[in-house]
Amino acid sequence: MGAATRYTRAELWRDRWAVARLAGWSLAEITPGLISGYATARAIDDGFLAGDARTGLGWLGAYAVAAGVGAVGARGAYRRLGDVVEPFRDRLVARVVTDAVRGAAHPDRAATARLTRQVEVVRDTYAGLLTTVRGFVFSLVAAIAGLVVLAPVLAALVVVPLMLGLGSFALLLPALARRQLGAVRADEDLAATAEPMLRAHRDVVAAGAGDWAARTVAAAAEAQRRAERSVGVAGALRGICLAAGGWGPLLVLLVAAPWLVDRGIGAGALLGAMVYVRGGLLPALHLLMHGLAGGGLRYGITLRRILSVSPVVLPSLDPPDHGLLRMRDVSFRYGPAAAPVLDRFDLDVSAGDHLVIVGASGIGKSTLAALMSGLLTPQTGTVRCAGRVLLPQEAHVFTGTVLENLRYLAPAAPVLRAVVLLGAWPLVNRLGGLGATIDPATLSAGEKQLIALVRAYLAPEPLAILDEATCHLDPALEARVERAFSARPGALIVIAHRLSSAARGREVLLFDGARPVRGTHAGLRAASPSYRDLVGAWSDPALLLRDVDGLDAVARVRLRDDPGEVVADRAR
Amino acid sequence: MSNRILLGCVRAAGGHAALLAVAALLGAAAGLVIPWAIGRTVDAVLLGGPGPWIVVTAALVLVAAGADVLAEFAAVTGTARATAHLRRALLTRIFTLPHPIGRPAGDLVARIGGQAADAGSAVGAIVGGLVSVLPPLGSLVALALIDPWLAASLVTGLVLLTVLLRGFVVRASVSAQGYQRVQGMIAGLLAEAMAGARTIAAAGTAETEIRRVLRPLPELGAHGRGTWAALAVAAGRTAALAPLTQIAVVAVAGVLLTHGRLSPGELVAALQYAALGAGLGAILGTLHRLVRARSGAGRAAEIIGARPRAHGTRVLPPGGRGTLRLDDVTVRAEDGHVLLDRLTLTVPGGATVAVVGRSGAGKSTLAAVAGRLRDPDQGTVRLDGVPLAALDPEALARAVGYGFERPALAGATIGDAIAMGRDHAFVPGAARIATIDAYITRLPRGYATPLADAPMSGGEAQRIGLARALHGDRLLVLDDASSSVDSVTEARIASALLHETHGRTRLVVTHRRATAAGADLVAWLDGGRLRALAPHGRLWADAAYRAVFAPDGGA
Repeated sequence: MGAATRYTRAELWRDRWAVARLAGWSLAEITPGLISGYATARAIDDGFLAGDARTGLGWLGAYAVAAGVGAVGARGAYRRLGDVVEPFRDRLVARVVTDAVRGAAHPDRAATARLTRQVEVVRDTYAGLLTTVRGFVFSLVAAIAGLVVLAPVLAALVVVPLMLGLGSFALLLPALARRQLGAVRADEDLAATAEPMLRAHRDVVAAGAGDWAARTVAAAAEAQRRAERSVGVAGALRGICLAAGGWGPLLVLLVAAPWLVDRGIGAGALLGAMVYVRGGLLPALHLLMHGLAGGGLRYGITLRRILSVSPVVLPSLDPPDHGLLRMRDVSFRYGPAAAPVLDRFDLDVSAGDHLVIVGASGIGKSTLAALMSGLLTPQTGTVRCAGRVLLPQEAHVFTGTVLENLRYLAPAAPVLRAVVLLGAWPLVNRLGGLGATIDPATLSAGEKQLIALVRAYLAPEPLAILDEATCHLDPALEARVERAFSARPGALIVIAHRLSSAARGREVLLFDGARPVRGTHAGLRAASPSYRDLVGAWSDPALLLRDVDGLDAVARVRLRDDPGEVVADRAR
Repeated sequence: MSNRILLGCVRAAGGHAALLAVAALLGAAAGLVIPWAIGRTVDAVLLGGPGPWIVVTAALVLVAAGADVLAEFAAVTGTARATAHLRRALLTRIFTLPHPIGRPAGDLVARIGGQAADAGSAVGAIVGGLVSVLPPLGSLVALALIDPWLAASLVTGLVLLTVLLRGFVVRASVSAQGYQRVQGMIAGLLAEAMAGARTIAAAGTAETEIRRVLRPLPELGAHGRGTWAALAVAAGRTAALAPLTQIAVVAVAGVLLTHGRLSPGELVAALQYAALGAGLGAILGTLHRLVRARSGAGRAAEIIGARPRAHGTRVLPPGGRGTLRLDDVTVRAEDGHVLLDRLTLTVPGGATVAVVGRSGAGKSTLAAVAGRLRDPDQGTVRLDGVPLAALDPEALARAVGYGFERPALAGATIGDAIAMGRDHAFVPGAARIATIDAYITRLPRGYATPLADAPMSGGEAQRIGLARALHGDRLLVLDDASSSVDSVTEARIASALLHETHGRTRLVVTHRRATAAGADLVAWLDGGRLRALAPHGRLWADAAYRAVFAPDGGA
């Protein structure tokens, strides 16, 4: 638990003044604990037993006043606890957000869960641990100090069994922590197995696989039971430590009682000592032994999990000597046993290029886009790229004004021309103008893409990479957008979703294996049977199966040479 | 029903329940006698020698401590057993219930997770609840036995404590709600940033995003401090009241001592009983546990009490070609609204029939009844002459495969997610037909890649779902099952399906014209009725049919 401990120590040190104030109020809080036994002893020995009820009540009154002080102290201590815990939590939230956003190249779907659940667990257990440790230390000090004032010999008698109990608990703690860790993991495994299976209820029923589903999840539940049982055994051992440390001192006091009375220790003092043991030590030990293992473990595990997220820092790509993009000898695969996505691949893109990447889905086109823009690093080979803007399929639109969204990559750019050019004016108008605030949840996928496209169009970077970034637009709008980008200074790379995109490009990169082939649309059609297949399938998939309702396939392919013509889907 | 489940939990805990009851009772009894024994010891010591009382006290302490240890062990292991038992029962039932269960998956996860554990802790809650009453009540009785005034002063203190603590819950929850609201806001902003992760990473705008997401942070801190302030008030009250209650008892006992009505030992005992009696407030805590156990059992009962899907025992005639016949089938939604209206339809064995229609026409409902994902309210569905409801579940599972628009995948690995408990032998072939094999072989561990480590797009998930459906050897029901796949890939899939699943009947719900055109027949649904069953080419002349394929418009 090294990282978590280091982090906690640094955080406590950072908030040392707040911690000091917390300690100050805790001192006030513990006043009744300090006084309880002594006041009881005096009240009995000097008051009630001596037949002087007034003195007895006087001492008890003093104890009551101390209880009042304690109440004020407890109140203050809880407020100060907030001063320690909330800044700690603020920084943790900032850290989770920073790590998640900085590591965004590998988007982390668990990040929001970390933010809402894990940070809360850490906040609660941090506060709980501060309370536990603080409560134990102060109660222990108060009880021992009180015993010393009553009679040092009483303190000596109490400390021996107390240490025995604490020492054996310290020995047990690692095993206890290990077993609780096992139980926590088993719990998580159960949830991780059950949740997708239950989400798949329809699919399980449809496949008649109910037995398998129930068995799979029940196996995780059984593992969880075994883990809980082993916690139970450790918990029983902890009970023995608690008995030794908490009940032991009481028995020792009773056994030594005759000897103590002989040495002139009164009934009241004996009683006072018992008050310290049963009212102070026993609850404090109970708190420590139950709180430390459970809370400390949850704290340690959860904090470590948050800390272990280290954002992948992306290496920045150097620009090539000339041109905008240069890939040399690039090989990439997702794992040692996985088939390569790219195998010693070369590519050059210069200003004025308009390259369309086509290929079956799942073959690695998006991987190529990620390699070009530095989101992935190839195992071998080099990628050099000038300024580029990558537009993925899932557009990033955030809560903010339309203008803020559009100027995201170009803070001072005039936006109107681009809005009109890309056909986004009706959308902007509907949203309430450039100053209106966008709620991303209310936009359709296509609307989001359009906003992201205008934004990318405005960006100063010369190379635009559209990774199926127009897939939710209708074909007419897609054509308009691609033509606008094609006329933009610099170069354009389009990962195509429809054939019409390929037909608009100056060149086509056919992705049909780990070594894509580059050529013109016409050239590839002549040279590559697999491209012909693709074109045939794309222009009308039904052709593969049988003749359809006539018309479109041929007509559409013919349209490609006329850049002024909108390539419309005939079915519209 | 929920009581039966609680009883079942107690029974499942078995010997642990008995051990817990005995140990807890013994511990509580010993705990009640200990103050009295300590008091007698003190009196004996003051009179000259402890005599046998010290031995009695030591023995009682050992019994109490030992009983506590045993009780804790029995409670934890008994709860674990009962919980596992209940979870098994829940799971078995959930996966024999017809779909839809009518409850979101998150709700079911909660029932199997925390709520089953709550119900499983019934043993501990019942025994603990009964036994926890003993120390405070026993103390009260003991105090009354020593002197009624002592009991009266304790009760007065406790009443004050309860009244004062009540105000706390309301105030704390106000701050907590504000806190959760702001926390949700930050989480929402972060989720937006995560959705745009690739854009942010590629554009290097992380720092701007971080500032934007963290903007509400100060407000979160303010609400957080508010919760602590509310807690501080409550802590102050508790801190004052517990000692004050005891002081009141000791003061009364002291005065009685001066008047000779109490011995010093009795005062010692009274002091300890006062502390035990203050635990009366904790009874509320155990009551709360009991309430939670009961509500957990109630939640389980709703599932376990639901009626599972009935099955017959018939098997399909050998050599059947998968002829699907719907007779007069009517399906109604929960609210009584008609989804399918006396639909009669025969799908010839081995044919591909596309199901088309505007949204709400009943396409998915037809798909659901065709393979018995759902039973019709009236009418029958037969496969090769056998009503689906009369089929043996295994025969049904072998014959029918379902593909969905949004398949939910489950299982440890990609291979498991496709096989779903069946022999893995068919998996690679099915993946090839669904054209997802290239994707899978590019994963770090191929078919053995954990599902959680395989990021997939909607189209990739659909194709895994499609591969999974291919076990069905007579009927494939594909409900918009390749809508997210690009048109090239879909054409490949269509062709592979045509050639490699030959001999199986295919019912394909689709929005795509090309798919309809490729099918042998098109079942055109309109308002829950079959408007036409004919080849696409013949229907195309009808403008209303063509309108079915008009897109709803993009951006």
